[in-house]
Amino acid sequence: MGKQKNKFLQMVDFLTERMPLHNLSFDHIVNEKEVPVHRMSWAYYMGGLTLLFFIIQLVTGVFLLFYYQPTVSDAHASVEYITFFVKSGFLIRNLHTWSSSCMILCLMVHMITSFAMKAFARPREITWISGSLLLIITFAFGFTGYLLPWHQIAVNATKVVLQSIEEAGHYLPGALAALPSYIKEIIQGEVSVGQATLSRFYALHVVILPLFFMGAIGLHLLGVQLHGMSPGVDTPPREKERFFPVFILKDFWLWGIVFLVVFVLSLCLPFESFYSYPLFEAYNALGSTPEGIKPEWYFYFVYYPLEILPFWVIMLGMTIAQAGIFFVPWIFKNTSRKVLSIIAWIIAAYLIIITLFGQLIYEVFKGSGK
Amino acid sequence: MFDLFLFIGLPYVAIASLVVVSFIRYKFRAFSYSSLSTQFLEDRWLAWASLPWHLGIILILLGHLLAFGLPGVWSILVSIPTFLLVVEALGIFSALLCLVSLVILLIRRFVDAKLQAVTSYLDVVVLLILLFQVLTGLAAAIHHRWGAAWAPGALGPYIRSIFLLQPDASFVKDMPPFVKLHIASAWVLIMFFPFTRLVHALSVPLHYFVRSPQKVVWNSSRSQVRFEQKIQFDNEKRLFLKAAFGAGASVALLSLGVLDKFFRYFLKQDLTNAEESHILSQKLQRLKQSADERELELERMNKDSIFVAKLSELSRTRGKYFIDYQMRPALAFSDEQGLPILISAKCTHLGCTVGQELDAQGRILCPCHISYFDIKTGQPSPGSPAKLPLPHLGWALKDEQGNLLMAQDPEGRREGSIDPSQAGKSLLFIGKRFS
Amino acid sequence: MKLFINIILLSLVYLTPAFAHPEFQRYSKKVSGRSVNCAMCHRHSDGPEGVKPGQIGSLNQDELNALGLARQALKPGAGVKSPILNEFGSSILNQLGKEKILELKQRPELLAGSLSKTNDLDGDGIPDAEEFKDGTHPLNSLDGHPWKLFKNNLGKNWFDILMIVLATGSGLYGLQNALIWLSIKARREE
Repeated sequence: MGKQKNKFLQMVDFLTERMPLHNLSFDHIVNEKEVPVHRMSWAYYMGGLTLLFFIIQLVTGVFLLFYYQPTVSDAHASVEYITFFVKSGFLIRNLHTWSSSCMILCLMVHMITSFAMKAFARPREITWISGSLLLIITFAFGFTGYLLPWHQIAVNATKVVLQSIEEAGHYLPGALAALPSYIKEIIQGEVSVGQATLSRFYALHVVILPLFFMGAIGLHLLGVQLHGMSPGVDTPPREKERFFPVFILKDFWLWGIVFLVVFVLSLCLPFESFYSYPLFEAYNALGSTPEGIKPEWYFYFVYYPLEILPFWVIMLGMTIAQAGIFFVPWIFKNTSRKVLSIIAWIIAAYLIIITLFGQLIYEVFKGSGK
Repeated sequence: MFDLFLFIGLPYVAIASLVVVSFIRYKFRAFSYSSLSTQFLEDRWLAWASLPWHLGIILILLGHLLAFGLPGVWSILVSIPTFLLVVEALGIFSALLCLVSLVILLIRRFVDAKLQAVTSYLDVVVLLILLFQVLTGLAAAIHHRWGAAWAPGALGPYIRSIFLLQPDASFVKDMPPFVKLHIASAWVLIMFFPFTRLVHALSVPLHYFVRSPQKVVWNSSRSQVRFEQKIQFDNEKRLFLKAAFGAGASVALLSLGVLDKFFRYFLKQDLTNAEESHILSQKLQRLKQSADERELELERMNKDSIFVAKLSELSRTRGKYFIDYQMRPALAFSDEQGLPILISAKCTHLGCTVGQELDAQGRILCPCHISYFDIKTGQPSPGSPAKLPLPHLGWALKDEQGNLLMAQDPEGRREGSIDPSQAGKSLLFIGKRFS
Repeated sequence: MKLFINIILLSLVYLTPAFAHPEFQRYSKKVSGRSVNCAMCHRHSDGPEGVKPGQIGSLNQDELNALGLARQALKPGAGVKSPILNEFGSSILNQLGKEKILELKQRPELLAGSLSKTNDLDGDGIPDAEEFKDGTHPLNSLDGHPWKLFKNNLGKNWFDILMIVLATGSGLYGLQNALIWLSIKARREE
């Protein structure tokens, strides 16, 4: 046995293991990289799909920027102009909406399957952390983008969320109690949701978040490329397929099909037709709030519990969950894939049930509460 | 007279020749149905000419066939402007491909000694007729645009009349010269067709699409190795061509169905006058709304009291929205005595604006999370998500001259009183001192 | 004299039937389960009473005259255009006449049946009467019963869809061959 390596060399080892840059060569990617084939192989495509939707978002988003005007008096009118008067403006905007929902859906599936497959295990911790960052950024995209059309549901839902931040102050001790209102003020920029909020959300949505997203996704893809696909199952897979051109071809075909589906949906089914029309009138600060104010469906998993359970339970739960996501590689370091997939199933079941039947559960609870 | 010969006599001679000679040739000299490939004599020039020629001519013939064969379907398709545009562009492009490759094929016949040995007069004549045909077609397409749209209607009946044995040259009599030339030389071409190498077109090579590629080479051991390399190279070339074809077709189709729309997204939107004025009035209305809000804000900064409504305008069941000193919405009702009730309309739960209609129990509803508030006390009803009461606002009543008649602070302490007979005329204000 | 006019004006305002007909709104909301506001038939989403644009208080002299004409349209086919109604509201008024509308207030479920089955003001393929029952806006082509909208739009856009399917298919075909070609090119000599 050689003697223990010194701290510096240990650090070099740590980094070399996590950043095996030699895997980045063209030759490696094209001729050596392989993808395991097993019953969970479908999960390898989810990340790619998320990327596809991000690309769609990027392109349609830039298109929308050509006409959108981020002021309280013009925002709604400019969105209406895009939808009704600009050639294919409706298609672009609807594509942006549909694709945002699809992106979040794929992202959730991607995250849960990666968790179940223990894809976060050493040496892939950095990939997992960058992925968690991407999750949060994507939700932030959803939240900020929701306000921009400046219609009733957008402004009122934003108000509700921001108000709940302030609510958190009641549960914090001492001087900390004022912190949430500061945070709210920073986000909101004035006493109520108004021009300052719109400008902030706009800047976040079109400049700041995309920059962060690019950085995080660069790291994420680098991680995927360096380490290759995680094995995903316990028994070494008997079969493997070449990444190039076999896997990537399948990936592209899937992209093509999914793109077609989303395109047809966007062309034929306005996303807003699922909601009542009064929600899409221009926001009127002096009028009453219409019925049915809700966040987007992908926030239901916090929204409905927030409606039903005491506020502090949700706040605590969310804080723990959010912090926990980043520490997953260490918390579940020695957990078997079997246990992980059970946890994943539970999370998935919760998300599905609360998203689909949240309204029902809410009504049941409210009904009994009276 | 000459027209009659060109457009009625000639066609029947040509068709007769096509049918009879093709049949005889097939019956008695079946093996002469060949394109007489010269690939092994000279393949450099040929590679640059044969493929483009066939691609171009097949596209053009398909276009002609569709347009004259299914005029109904075709007229629906060309009524889509982008389709017409693409057909025309594709047609001209194909014609140019044919033109260039025909010229190359001609040159090749003249500069290569080996080829000259096997070239017959007929080969050259065929090439020249084809060249003439392509040139007249191209000229017609350029001088008389949108042929894809007008030709089926204008020339279709003539072609049909020929095949229905009721020939009628009047349809073509007044056509421009290029079109006439094109038609006449087409009949000449058809007449010559069965005598020449063109007959290979009759053996429609459908199996070419599935079989592996053939290459005509000298058979000798010396070239065997080179041959295998060549096959490998050809394989790659085929893949590359397929890739290029796929990409090209994709771009063409996209431009037909989708890209043109995306392109128009960036153009100046041409709107009708009505649409334009609708948009502008909409915009103006929103700007006014913003201006009003700004004005309210300014008013609240500078004024000590702000007019809400005439007391007589207030209703007991339907509140009137106004904006308080903090720029939050509030509601004004009247009570049984005809005095005002002013209550904040900002829900104490999460800040939605509370509705203005009073229900039978004297409550107003926040629609966001279904909280009911009693307007007298401001208290939320039990079970509502909101826990805190809606605060009341202080108010002041003044007569038309601005004299204070009566006031009430947010806690409900009143000063002054009002004569019921005067109540109808008095004006309701909110005051800075109460906020 | 002045007093007399005032009394007449007052009685006009207070004694004539109200301008708004929330019965129809409530009915549409009940059968569709969607929230519906006055903007389905009126210019302003809070209804006709008030001083905001499209409400009675905001009307100028010409518009008041038009309103008067519209309120006299008791029989169908008057061809009036009320300044407080949107196109759908006006179309109901012109199809049925004021008398019939007031009669239907007691039986709002009969309104859809008495309207034209084919009128489609926003051109989204769903007739106005049906949109009234679906609780969707008859003047907004993007608002409609999702499934009906989808079907109609699919029929309308078949050409574009065909083209993009073909384009994506051939694009992927091209990409496939390009990738295989690349992979052969990049393969190292064994």
